Amino acid sequence: MDIVTRYSDRVAILELTGRFDKNTAPPIVTWLEQAAATTPAHILVNLAGVNFVDSTALAALVRGLKQCQQRGGELYLCGLQRQVYMIFEMTRLSKAFSIFVDEDHAIRALTN
Amino acid sequence: MLSVRLRIKPMSMLAAFIQVHYARFTTLAEAWLANGATTFGIWQKGQLLAGWPAGNKPDQPGLVMPICVGDQVIGDVRISGMPGSAARARLAADVELIAHLFRLEHEIECMASDLVVTQDQLVALYRLSHSMSQYLTIEETLTALVMESMRLIKARNGFAMFVPSIADPIVVQHPPAEIDEALLWRCFWQAHSAAPEVSLTTLDLSTTMADCPRDLLFIPIKTRDTVIAGLGMLRDPGRGFQTPDIKLARAIANQASAQIEKVLLYKETFDQAKIRAEMELARQVQQDLLPKQLPHVTGLDIFAASRPAFQVGGDFYDFICQTDRPFTFSIGDVSGKGFPAALLMTMTRMAIHSKAFFMPEPTPRVVLQQSNKDLYKDFTQVGVFATAFVGQYHPQHQMLHYANAGHSPVIYRPAAGAATMLMADSTAIGIFPVSSCEDQEVALRPGDLLIVATDGFSDARNPDDEMFGHKRLLDLVDTLAEQSAQDIADSLFTAGDRFKADCPQEDDQTLVVIKGVAT
Repeated sequence: MDIVTRYSDRVAILELTGRFDKNTAPPIVTWLEQAAATTPAHILVNLAGVNFVDSTALAALVRGLKQCQQRGGELYLCGLQRQVYMIFEMTRLSKAFSIFVDEDHAIRALTN
Repeated sequence: MLSVRLRIKPMSMLAAFIQVHYARFTTLAEAWLANGATTFGIWQKGQLLAGWPAGNKPDQPGLVMPICVGDQVIGDVRISGMPGSAARARLAADVELIAHLFRLEHEIECMASDLVVTQDQLVALYRLSHSMSQYLTIEETLTALVMESMRLIKARNGFAMFVPSIADPIVVQHPPAEIDEALLWRCFWQAHSAAPEVSLTTLDLSTTMADCPRDLLFIPIKTRDTVIAGLGMLRDPGRGFQTPDIKLARAIANQASAQIEKVLLYKETFDQAKIRAEMELARQVQQDLLPKQLPHVTGLDIFAASRPAFQVGGDFYDFICQTDRPFTFSIGDVSGKGFPAALLMTMTRMAIHSKAFFMPEPTPRVVLQQSNKDLYKDFTQVGVFATAFVGQYHPQHQMLHYANAGHSPVIYRPAAGAATMLMADSTAIGIFPVSSCEDQEVALRPGDLLIVATDGFSDARNPDDEMFGHKRLLDLVDTLAEQSAQDIADSLFTAGDRFKADCPQEDDQTLVVIKGVAT
């Protein structure tokens, strides 16, 4: 799994590539926790390069989402591949997250 | 290093020297007597130790030549009856030779004495290693180390400490509590960051030691490339520690290092065995929590099984059978793996079970909504969620009512149709404070089939990194639909195993198969 972090217009962006599962989740959990600690936390997780997520990965994203929301912030997702989006649909997590097609749309929504 | 200086005891040593070499002294004396000397004697502090000819004791010797060894005069040689410078020169040469022989003899004795000391130390080290090897705790080992070191190095006080990576540090000293522990730790931390061994001067403890002045030797003990222990010895001021003491202390420290390593390894092995035993116990408890018997429900063929990826898992299934209520079952999957997931799985299972069992009208929706309410806070704090499916069979209509909180895969295959996925109607337990799940229903008439599995089936991967996926699962269910519930379950496990081949099972696999049958 490749992890790239950057900032754009007050939005902390996490760009992931590869399998996002119990083996690769720990550093992402740490990053999300630190990024969510800023107030207000605006986090965008770009999953365009992710081809698989397991329940540990989903739990990491849910945890990050709750931490952001507790501090008046938001965690958005973008670029989900079909099979990953299916997992969000099947588990109805698509209801919990704001999901965007790409970074531009997500950043615009986060900064408005 | 054989440099121990023994104090010469001239009286006994010169007499002993003459006794050992008496024949040679006699030859030397007879040579002088043959050349005209009337007497030849070796004296010490005015007393004759040996004289020739025997029984002849001259009152006034002609020549007196002191025997000097180093800066010490250990005696003299006296000759009478031969005056003159030639005789004096010859006597000086003979005495010089005697002194040289004496020195050599003395050095040999010193070396022999050193060898005896070294041999004693080796024996003592062997005893130390033997005595320490019987101890299985660090504290016992440190106590033995201090006691044996004090005995070998002849120290007045001794102390040793150990800093484990987890748990409190340990310090032992003898005599007990005589020195402030803060001072002992100061020695340790200075040695930890600096010198290979620490003495009183390098530590500059003059102020703190003022009330208890001692000469100090401290040897850090390394284990696994880290200073994790230390040995300190104290002597009365002025006695100091010489090279042999330091060498011996180092040898003891090395010995102690090996023993500490052994104790740590023993402890680690012991701890691992304990963890394994506890894991096995947890696995057993978890297995015992699963229903021991399959329920007999008229109109249904039911089978369920669970196979954790690790010793304990985060999946569960449960049957709630009460005489006056419809048959209810649940299946769930807590995010994460291993012990943490297992703990939360037990919580989730109990929350659902108690609601289904005790609530007045426990529809699947109510059971899941109430469970979500109860678990949300704890799950949010820990950062997990649990998918869950609750089903309830109503035999009078041959219908299954169900609610699905984020659970997948759930496969339904009507007797006359193809297998399809039943989507969740709400998010998993622990995502939102209020669950939006609803009661839904499907028919379970003869031939209708419902398989509620966990993602350990659909997410299984083969050596080419392909996922089993939902399509393979649906196709497989279509081919197995005519079989009994147990045969379908067995075939699903077998197909999953065949698919993943040599790849390890990464996730727990649990399923409940329910098939409508003719009554």
